[in-house]
Amino acid sequence: MKRRKPARAVLLLTVGALALVSASAGWGRSNTSSAAPFKVAWIYVGPHNDGGWSQAHDEGRQYVQKMLGNKVQTTYKENIAVGAQFNQTVASLVAQGYKMIFATSYGYVTKAVAAKYPNVLFEQATGTLVTKNVAEYFGSAEDTIFLSGMAAGAASKTGKIGFVVAYPIPEVIRHTNAFALGAQLTHPGATVRIVWTNSWFDPAGEKKAAQSLYQAGVDVLGQNVDSPATGQFAESVKIPWVGYDSDASKFAPKSWLTASVYNWGPYYLKRVKQAMAGTWKSGFYYGTINDGFTKLAPYGPGVSATAKTQIAVVERLIESGSFSPFTGPLYDQSGKLRVASGVRMQVLKGGTNSLYGMNWLVKGVIGSPKG
Amino acid sequence: MNNSLLVVLIASGVAYGTPLLFAALGELLAERSGVLNLGVEGMMLVGAVMGFWTVQRVHASTALTLVLAIVVAALAGTAMATIHAFLVITLRANQIVSGLALTIFAGAAGLSSYLGNDLNLADQPATRDFHALLPASMQNWPVVGPILFGQTILVYVSWACVVAVAFYLSRTRPGLNVRAVGESPAAADTMGISVTRYRYAHTLAGGAFAGIAGATVTLAITPQWVDGITGGAGWIAIALVIFAFWRPELCLVGAYFFGALEALAPQLQARNIQLGPTVLWTNSLPYVMTVLVLVLVSSGTARRRLGAPSALGFPYVREEH
Amino acid sequence: MRTGVRISVERRLSQPRWLTVAVPVGSVVFAFLVAAVVLLATGHDPLPSYRLLFDAAFLQTGSLDQTLIAATPLAFTGLAAAAAFRMKLWNIGAEGQMYMGAITGAAAGLYLGGRGGPSAFVIAAMVVAGCAGGMVWALIPAILRAFFKTNEILTSLLLNYVAGYVLTYLIFESESYWRQTKGFNASVFPTGKPLPPSALWPGWTIHVQGGIVVPLGAGLALLAAGLLWLLYSRTRFGFEAQVLGDSERAARYAGVRVRRKILAVMAVSGAIAGLGGASQDGDFNHALDGDPNGLQKRGYGYTGIVIAALGRYNPFAVVLIAFLLGGLENAGNTLQGPSFPAGLVGVIQGIILFSALGGELLIRHRVRIGRRAGTVARATTPEPAA
Repeated sequence: MKRRKPARAVLLLTVGALALVSASAGWGRSNTSSAAPFKVAWIYVGPHNDGGWSQAHDEGRQYVQKMLGNKVQTTYKENIAVGAQFNQTVASLVAQGYKMIFATSYGYVTKAVAAKYPNVLFEQATGTLVTKNVAEYFGSAEDTIFLSGMAAGAASKTGKIGFVVAYPIPEVIRHTNAFALGAQLTHPGATVRIVWTNSWFDPAGEKKAAQSLYQAGVDVLGQNVDSPATGQFAESVKIPWVGYDSDASKFAPKSWLTASVYNWGPYYLKRVKQAMAGTWKSGFYYGTINDGFTKLAPYGPGVSATAKTQIAVVERLIESGSFSPFTGPLYDQSGKLRVASGVRMQVLKGGTNSLYGMNWLVKGVIGSPKG
Repeated sequence: MNNSLLVVLIASGVAYGTPLLFAALGELLAERSGVLNLGVEGMMLVGAVMGFWTVQRVHASTALTLVLAIVVAALAGTAMATIHAFLVITLRANQIVSGLALTIFAGAAGLSSYLGNDLNLADQPATRDFHALLPASMQNWPVVGPILFGQTILVYVSWACVVAVAFYLSRTRPGLNVRAVGESPAAADTMGISVTRYRYAHTLAGGAFAGIAGATVTLAITPQWVDGITGGAGWIAIALVIFAFWRPELCLVGAYFFGALEALAPQLQARNIQLGPTVLWTNSLPYVMTVLVLVLVSSGTARRRLGAPSALGFPYVREEH
Repeated sequence: MRTGVRISVERRLSQPRWLTVAVPVGSVVFAFLVAAVVLLATGHDPLPSYRLLFDAAFLQTGSLDQTLIAATPLAFTGLAAAAAFRMKLWNIGAEGQMYMGAITGAAAGLYLGGRGGPSAFVIAAMVVAGCAGGMVWALIPAILRAFFKTNEILTSLLLNYVAGYVLTYLIFESESYWRQTKGFNASVFPTGKPLPPSALWPGWTIHVQGGIVVPLGAGLALLAAGLLWLLYSRTRFGFEAQVLGDSERAARYAGVRVRRKILAVMAVSGAIAGLGGASQDGDFNHALDGDPNGLQKRGYGYTGIVIAALGRYNPFAVVLIAFLLGGLENAGNTLQGPSFPAGLVGVIQGIILFSALGGELLIRHRVRIGRRAGTVARATTPEPAA
């Protein structure tokens, strides 16, 4: 019995497939209408709903979308690694007509990429490259991290605090130092133990780090990583926790103290409006508590009234400019004086004594700055 | 003493090794019947997301919800395994390719991610999760406290599973049959043992175990959902089965050893013990050791007693035997 | 004797040509139908999603460039897998062999490269070094298989992980030769040292539809496909390899030196994968990418295996399928975002693969439904395990 049926069926399917392809080809040409919305894209290094860094950026994006309505078309790409994947993502975004890209992680934007698309505006977070079409933005999170460190120090009974950190790079080292200095203000002699996870976002790794710190004797946990896993662990062993990037108190309602959070929305709105109006200029923006760029998340139940008052006082001093956490005398882990008394560290100037170049840990931090 | 490095490492090894153990037991059953399933990671992730979903959506008592979540996770894993089983047993497809296709389909960039996003499961803590079962007083007993009494019920269940699987394989009729199917399907067939049925049953059982392993991650270890939360544990489980010479009791030892290795690097850091490129060694060691075990197993007289089921990886086609 | 309605599956004696094309095509269509059902069931409209997919993969301006970028590594790993699988040597290690090739290729580029435009000498050195790196890594499971009869599926798989950890170590956990250590930016985040200008691989622009850039790697992959095809169909080496794949016993009788063949074929396979790694350095990353969320998350080695299977180990089919799957990858990246369901690309890819695997059955076997008596099993020994 000759089997013609399969042949016919397959032929039909193939024809159907070709029809589908050609039909979609017909629709395929993207059309540009007049009064087209301004297209701006965000690129995240982690998931858009990581409960941490990338989510905070996405909330900023949503803020822009809400405030500008249909004058703007926003989108995001998540889990984009630095390097070739970023370049490809940019290429496809540009091909789709996106005119402005917020690259929310260090190392994303390179000179080559910026030069390749001279008419696209790039905004790079936490980096240093500034060209005609690349602007940098970040903020003095170290100030609010310092304040959150104060909360940690106040909540600690033994003065032994643990801090889960990502990569041994100056940004993280600076934040670690800020946290430690803050803790030592409310709890003189406090020590901060660190464990590196080598990832911005790794719940399992962060939990292991948190657990190992707890088993090494700390009684408060803090973090400079993006998932709330440390907090969940802290809740399970009933010790206080300082978060990072966003208000993750729902993950650990009893342990939650506070966190340094970024408020990206207003900055994003300002820059997008400038781009749309043609007044956008490149530069290096370093936000502060004053312009609302960084702030403390709402307090949890474990922050005492005294601590709140102390933090409020210091916050006022920082806002007024009278105080900066990174003012000498600052000693490194070996006890050597690195920053002289009364000298304030600058953001970019000063080599390894600048905020962006700091590669040493302050006294009281236990662990290696090399990872 | 309970916070000494050794005790802490062993206790961590037990806790973190439990998903590995469940997944390895499942893969062991499948492989004993002659079916290699490289899709463990995918099955674990789907089990993980569905188990998590159950906990978030069901409004019943904690115990009931968690039990239901485990059941759902097992079913989800089984569903994934069914695809693989159908392809490789009935349709005689290449087992390696099918397993990899399953990982692509269900893995971190596939179905599990799709479900996690569509069901809105990200950025929320598990409403209920597994805690240590026994009271804190028992957990503080020297040495055995943290290691044995500080664990969740899933750990204790896994012990029971190890005993059950070992007993099944060595002392029951079906268990001996499945070993025959894995060693020589043709001979088993002539003895009247249905190769197809045994392979299906054990591959699906493998999926169930993998699903439970995934749920262990999202409901006990890190009670939240993110894409790819199992982080490659499925692959380690495959290596673990080999490392354990396809024996359940050795799976337990191996799982805890691999789990302890995972915990080693952060523990050393927390205690400020700097040993150079620790992470490289501790991460690579399980794999290197498994390779060495494999070489041992396949050379010389050890081969027959300790080796892989001979028919592992090949479809059984009666007409060709 | 069993009677009743049975679905029986019999091996075909000959494989009709049209079926070998129709089945893969049919399975792709079938896969899209099934995925459409999945989409509908979860409240998404399939047609716009598919339209977006094709658009993003092939039709939009610049999309072909991106598709080629995604397809090039897939072509290399697909060819690597096909080279070994042809001989029933299950090399699952293309992933790790690619990493090793990336390491050695980058080393050659860093060491020999300098100023000026792309230098043929430097690039040739990177090609050789990349092949060598992959080859050496593949020889480990090869030696274990040839001399200790150790199953190469498992050893090559396990070594993928070791290779990944080494790669991460070189950039993230040490101050190795490959790591960028000079300059302010270097201290801010671990990155690979950028390749000097003469080590960057060029591309060719085809002036069609606004210009399509074909990376050098893509050209090399095509060349490799041609050479591989020649090797297997026109040389004695290839002939012996296929005999060995069909029956080790027959091969031995014919005087084939089994051990040597195993080493040689695995070496070829590893070399191709290693070349893919060098291409990643020279064509796309312009440095060694040790980020655990970078090259190591892409899974090129594993996808390559599936591509090889779909292409039934024919080198040209493999390259074509790599191109198509590259398009799907690219489309997934382009479409990723708030309006496109995450994970859909993996789901569609998976269903395509499943359908194709199932379709394989139709090629090799004939499905009969009817009343049949049970057959009697013949007691012959099964093939020895690989």
